[in-house]
Amino acid sequence: MDHASFIIGSYVLTIISVAAYAISIVRRGRKLGAITSDDDKPWI
Amino acid sequence: MTTTQSTATPTTQKLGIATAIAVSFLVLSGLIFSAEDVVQGSTVRMMYVHVPSIWVAYLAFGLTALCSAVYVSNRSRSLIWDRFAGASAEIGVLFVAISLVTGSLWGRLTWGTFWVWDARLTSTAFLFITYIGYLAVRRLGGTFTQRARRSAIMALLAVLEIPLVHFSVNLWRTLHQKASIADPNAKVQLDGFMLFTLFWGLVSFSMLFAWLLIHRQRLMALEDAVQDQGLDRAIQERRTEAGR
Amino acid sequence: MDLTPRPVTDAESRAQNRRRRWAPMIIVALALVAGGVVVSQFLTSAIDYYCNVDEVGVRDGCVGQRRIRVQGIVVENSLKQTNGVTEFSLVFQDKTLRVQYQGDPGGVFQECIPVVAHGRVVDGVFDSDRIEVKHTNQYVEKNKTRFEATKETAACSQLPG
Repeated sequence: MDHASFIIGSYVLTIISVAAYAISIVRRGRKLGAITSDDDKPWI
Repeated sequence: MTTTQSTATPTTQKLGIATAIAVSFLVLSGLIFSAEDVVQGSTVRMMYVHVPSIWVAYLAFGLTALCSAVYVSNRSRSLIWDRFAGASAEIGVLFVAISLVTGSLWGRLTWGTFWVWDARLTSTAFLFITYIGYLAVRRLGGTFTQRARRSAIMALLAVLEIPLVHFSVNLWRTLHQKASIADPNAKVQLDGFMLFTLFWGLVSFSMLFAWLLIHRQRLMALEDAVQDQGLDRAIQERRTEAGR
Repeated sequence: MDLTPRPVTDAESRAQNRRRRWAPMIIVALALVAGGVVVSQFLTSAIDYYCNVDEVGVRDGCVGQRRIRVQGIVVENSLKQTNGVTEFSLVFQDKTLRVQYQGDPGGVFQECIPVVAHGRVVDGVFDSDRIEVKHTNQYVEKNKTRFEATKETAACSQLPG
């Protein structure tokens, strides 16, 4: 594959940035979920 | 696994798994299964992350405006619309950033330059900056209602940039190519499996957006609840002091 | 009950509060500045007229020796690269223009592809110091059964007719 570093790099960059964002949301959600009551979580 | 302490539910877990599978297939299809382009060669593979990224950004900013409009027009002024708007904008900013970076890399390989100040690139950069500003405006303080009102107005103004970005390639002479699938004349100009891979990218990134949006909106609700708790605690302390 | 805000005494909390209050304002200010920079860059780069080959020497702004941007398609069999100089002809609406460029244009530059050349017309030849390769919105699978051109002339297979 020509220009593999650019091509694979763009896929890696996309996946890593989205994954990092997703992980930060989930972790913060767990942290805050532990100190809030179930009344504040209408999705349960 | 218990879900009471997180933003996940069995439905979002299923959606998450389906999204992970869909994105994995997109990576395989984009990097391995799909063919090279006659002119661009392998470089065309960057399209399968670049185009879906900007699609998600458009979708996110459009939804931000829609939720803001519902918040403003609805008598109940439910804050859930404001949270959906804020969560959607944040995800949109992430994806427009991805789109700018992947587009810049793709541009280096096809155009021979990372960046040119042409209408499409400039308007996309402006869109990115506008929504960074929107996210900052949301954090300016005040009550939740004040936050919702001022950010709703800004979202309804900012969304007007999207048609400008999309049609900039038709309105000005630009280096950026014209739309391939979102062509106003609806003339598809992508060969078979390339078109399938691109559509798969749009679908899988839309699923990813949905998953992120649900979780971020719920996290925002928890953040607001924690802020409320702090306020409640402070008022309680004052009451106790006053009662002494 | 006294509801007036109380001064925060703890130094760390005070610093945290200050950061929380100022950070969004600073970001809004930076966004405004960045927006201004983006728009001014766009307007500055638009100073050079954007001309199609058939407009060179004809359309207002595309005449004389002023710096312009010329858009056209690289003519088949016109490309020559000697001693680090790239020469080719650009065509648009049956009008052609000879272009000279020091170096390799880069990107997917090849015959039959649309390009934008920056420079000025000197003695009937367009002396370019910057070339940007445009790509059409057509994507065609590389398929050996219907396409056997070399990499350099691949774009010619996409030309109509």
